Amino acid sequence: MKTMTKTSSLWINTGFRIAAIVLALAFTSIVLLLSNARPFEAFANIINGSIGSSKGIANTLVAWVPLLLVTSGLLMTYATGMWNIGIEGQITLGAIFTTLALRLMQGTSVPPTLAIILSILAGILGGALWAGIVALLKIYGGVNEIFGGLGMNFVSTALTIWLIFGPWKRPGTGSMSGTEPFDTSLWLPQLEGLRISLWSVGIGIVGLLVVYFILQGTYFGLKLKAVGKNGRAAFLLGVPTTRYIMAAFLICGAFAGIAGAIQVTGVYHRLIPSISSGYGYLGMMVAMLVNFQALWAGVVALFFAALNIGSIQLPIVMKIDSTLSGVLQGALVLFFLLMEGARRTFLSKKRGK
Amino acid sequence: MKVEIKNIHKHFGKVHANNDISMTIQPGTIQGILGENGAGKSTLMKILSGFYQADKGEIRLDGKLTRIKSPADAIKHGVGMLHQDPLDFPPMPVIDNLIIGQSGGLLPNRKVVRKQFEDLQARFNFKIDPDAYVDSLTVGERQQLEILRLLWLGAKVLILDEPTTGISASQKEMLFATLKILASQGMSVIFVSHKLDEVEQLCNQVAVFRQGKNVGQAMPPYRTPQLVQLMFGKSMELAPRIDSTSCDVLVHMKDLAVENYRLHISGINLDICKGEVIGLAGMEGSGQRLFLQACTGLRRTVGGKLYIGQRDFTGKPYHQFLNSQVSYVPASRLEEGLISGLSLTEHFILAGEQQGFIINRDKALKLTESRIKDFSIRGIPETRVESLSGGNQQRALLALLRSPLQLLLLEHPTRGLDIESSMWIWNMLKERCKTGTAIIFTSSDLDEVLHYSDRILVFFGGKVSNPLNAGSTTVDSLGQLIGGKGWEN
Amino acid sequence: MFSKRTWTLVSLLLIVVLALSACAKPTAAPTAAPATEAPVVVTTEAPKEITFGLLLVGPYNDHGWSEAHFNAGLYVEEKLPGTKMIYLDKVNPADRPGTTPAQLADELVGQGATVILFNSDDMKDSATEFAAANPTINVIMASGDQQWAEGKDFKNLPNMVNVMGEMEYGKMMAGCAAALTTKTGQIGYLGPLINDETRRLVSSAYLGAKYCWTTYLGKPAEELKFKVTWIGFWFNIPGFTSDPTQVADDFFNSNYDVVISGIDTTEAIVQANKMKLAGKEVWAIPYDYEGACDEAPDICLGVPYFNWGPSYLGYVTAAMNGEYKPLFEWVGPDWTNINNPDTSMIGFKEGDALSAEAKANVDKFIAELAGGLQLFAGPMNLQDGTVYLKDGEKATDLQIWYLPQLLEGMEGKSLP
Repeated sequence: MKTMTKTSSLWINTGFRIAAIVLALAFTSIVLLLSNARPFEAFANIINGSIGSSKGIANTLVAWVPLLLVTSGLLMTYATGMWNIGIEGQITLGAIFTTLALRLMQGTSVPPTLAIILSILAGILGGALWAGIVALLKIYGGVNEIFGGLGMNFVSTALTIWLIFGPWKRPGTGSMSGTEPFDTSLWLPQLEGLRISLWSVGIGIVGLLVVYFILQGTYFGLKLKAVGKNGRAAFLLGVPTTRYIMAAFLICGAFAGIAGAIQVTGVYHRLIPSISSGYGYLGMMVAMLVNFQALWAGVVALFFAALNIGSIQLPIVMKIDSTLSGVLQGALVLFFLLMEGARRTFLSKKRGK
Repeated sequence: MKVEIKNIHKHFGKVHANNDISMTIQPGTIQGILGENGAGKSTLMKILSGFYQADKGEIRLDGKLTRIKSPADAIKHGVGMLHQDPLDFPPMPVIDNLIIGQSGGLLPNRKVVRKQFEDLQARFNFKIDPDAYVDSLTVGERQQLEILRLLWLGAKVLILDEPTTGISASQKEMLFATLKILASQGMSVIFVSHKLDEVEQLCNQVAVFRQGKNVGQAMPPYRTPQLVQLMFGKSMELAPRIDSTSCDVLVHMKDLAVENYRLHISGINLDICKGEVIGLAGMEGSGQRLFLQACTGLRRTVGGKLYIGQRDFTGKPYHQFLNSQVSYVPASRLEEGLISGLSLTEHFILAGEQQGFIINRDKALKLTESRIKDFSIRGIPETRVESLSGGNQQRALLALLRSPLQLLLLEHPTRGLDIESSMWIWNMLKERCKTGTAIIFTSSDLDEVLHYSDRILVFFGGKVSNPLNAGSTTVDSLGQLIGGKGWEN
Repeated sequence: MFSKRTWTLVSLLLIVVLALSACAKPTAAPTAAPATEAPVVVTTEAPKEITFGLLLVGPYNDHGWSEAHFNAGLYVEEKLPGTKMIYLDKVNPADRPGTTPAQLADELVGQGATVILFNSDDMKDSATEFAAANPTINVIMASGDQQWAEGKDFKNLPNMVNVMGEMEYGKMMAGCAAALTTKTGQIGYLGPLINDETRRLVSSAYLGAKYCWTTYLGKPAEELKFKVTWIGFWFNIPGFTSDPTQVADDFFNSNYDVVISGIDTTEAIVQANKMKLAGKEVWAIPYDYEGACDEAPDICLGVPYFNWGPSYLGYVTAAMNGEYKPLFEWVGPDWTNINNPDTSMIGFKEGDALSAEAKANVDKFIAELAGGLQLFAGPMNLQDGTVYLKDGEKATDLQIWYLPQLLEGMEGKSLP
């Protein structure tokens, strides 16, 4: 009896998920048809562009790593029920701190490997610091973390641009292309002929495993979840709620900081104005889509990264805007949320019988 | 069929699950068996139906000494058991389901079986379509089908172990009607339950089990308190009230003052003894909750001093209270007490002492299983707390409390619970008092306040009465105070 | 349980570390190939067909810088049979987050492009990286200086061409038109960000204005006020740049009656039009795009614009014929007809608001330039009074390209 209901509800869940994917694809197809493009050709181009070649796969992984790190971090804040929308700024601060560290060490006797490691640690510090401010505002200032986060995002953008056009400007000129690129010795080593660094892939995977492990197997993770599901009850049970919220923010900020550090040391090799590349917001979508379960985060983040990379083909080949990938990603999240609601209604009705 | 059980013993390891149980069930009676979880009811039923063998003792069916070796053997002797959980039914028509359960190697004669089935249905007023698929039946219908199957196999004694779990009220009515028809036709029915009202409603006689023993029989008209007393035994006999004039003082309040935006209560002077129970009475919102929360650091006091066990706790935060063995059980179980979405196991991990960084799931599971058993929680370790019933949630809350405790603060500990659960909970609480824990609780049930408290504080409009001796206070005088009468000045 | 989990984690970590140390070889730095005499990159077997790819920093239809390049691509397709253009626009980190121009260039190569054009200074690092990593691809970088042997940023990439138009002349014409029109003797310049390029362009406008003011109108140079206000970027970014609308209004409201735009968007001409409608006598000069005056012809004195088509046609033809050579080109107008779409890189389209008298003088000025008039000539001081050019000295290309400050007589910041 028990096993029967378990398997049947598993099938129901899967059914609703598949329905969500089908609906999102259908919706995107309609958008494509409205803009006079053939949907299947578009999807084929996206697939081909993302996984059709070794370069495509490498580029997809380049997008995957920061997205994965950001999603992993967000799973921690989501566990406590917090919407860390300030994640974008935390990535940015990670990138700024990393750039600062590299600038200080470039041209000194610090060995490049050590310099890279130290700069990533600096990135962690930067991301955590920025997240910590949001948490402090939330805990002691009563500022909703969404507004606090948005505010800090604005500050981080302004700070980046000020640095790029001000103190860190390239000799003689400030340019939207960012600061002067670092010496290649300070780049994360890349695979021959490809943009991807296995080091960053390794960091991304380890990051996800760490978060999975924390959430699944530790007191710390369980307490985070308790705070998220019922902060009052968790407090009465003896969980120091504010400390755990703070910790979740700091860890999430640290992960965002690593993502920012990798953007600097592994992708752009300098600080650019939109160094966070929107991975923070995309990561929030991934986290929502996997229903805050760490297990699926890697796969879905890879899917989103592939969409981002593959959709570049669209304007080149079909002259349609590549923001279509954004439409598909958004549609997926919306339909998943919609289907989740439908599934609950369905199940409760069924139970009611 | 007449069933006689004589001096049955059964051990599981060190547990003496059935200890010298005897009883006689006449044909045509519905015998109730009442008891808490773990009282030995199910064990005896499993012995009767051949799942277990008794270590000692005898069973006589219609006067004949019978050894029941297996469930198949039991049905041959006319003893059929309807299980607590309906078995997994394969998706096949009712009639086939019947045939499959038949013993013997003869080819089934479908027509004959159908005829017999129809006859049985007519006799007991059942209306199950023999061609319907079993998995399309409701739980109630499946129960009927299972009863029919047992009857068809020749059962003359029917055992039902907690049959009302998971069925609706109307299905319960139907089941009870069925059982009465069965009894009227000479069958013996053994009805096992921990629910007083069901037993009282249905049974011709009741045996109460406690800790593996048959502690007493009762016949209608039943007296609930008597059954309760039998069920819970001597532990329900309240210990003599504590004499607050000469005792070990645990809590010392001196001119304590608390306030919120509406109320200001000051000048609370009270000494609470170890093991004492203080009841807080008053209209909702008269300051009881304020006072209770002040006693656990959830609300800062605005004046006076609070000592617990000689230590000054004035103005200390909640965590220090908690770490000094002061616990608080809020009234709203799912809003403040338990965490929806987390399992029982996860609650026990959270409430327990953190050991290291990584959770030892095996250990946590064992702990949870033992707590579930000790506190008679209807659920498994994986059960999410929101799917527990109110009574079980309250039991879970109490199970989460640390041991030992100096001071326990409860809001409405039995609100919304049935009588057995209330009794059980107070039983557990009083056990704690014996270890020296003092209890302060609020309740809007005056009987509860009077019955379980040693002393009572009445709250009215920002004022607190002097402690009243519960033994010398009546519901009337308490009611007057709560309503604002009889206060000096 | 504890040990099992821990060991799982430790071994996973170990595997990752091992895998990384085994696989990761540091990539060779994209060092420049040694310089050779006119290396020919593409083999002599010239393809009959060729695909060239454009990376545009802005939208292909921005009525400005990017559209000028896009139109040049169309021009090549039209003039040279067998060519096919593919392009990707909005190549900037804000519109295509997470990508780099080099990566996007790879995508174009994946679609068959063998000539890649980067159209913005912002893509300079990426263009260098891409050219070094793809020696068989012919790279055109507009506005870069990596291939200028004398330049400060010489990279010597055998497969890259740098090309830039000598907009200095266009700006001089703009300055001249402004000086001949202003009633108050005050000219405002709406500057973008401060760098070598923008410094020399705004200075050119000033030189053109001063020359026409003194030569044709016969007024003393001291009576001409020329002020530049930098907004901070090529277009308005709220919160970061100054608001160009506000800056333009401030100019008009403080007696500057002509505003020359140095930014990519149309605030100057839009605000001038509003002022005009409100009864103020003001004018403006837009930038970049040939059709820019159409928006408000009543106040538009003319527009200096780029025409990249002829240059691109040359490079693509060379690539097709296997004659592609690394090159640095700074291309001026075709002085026989600066507005000839088939020959002239820089044009100046005179606007309806330019008076007949002023128009005659502007044409005269253009004729003088065509005749060899050099305005970057000594004696000339920098803004801080230090000598830039001695008497009789004419500025070299290097001196102009890397102009270190604004010139004496100009108002506004020289350095960011």
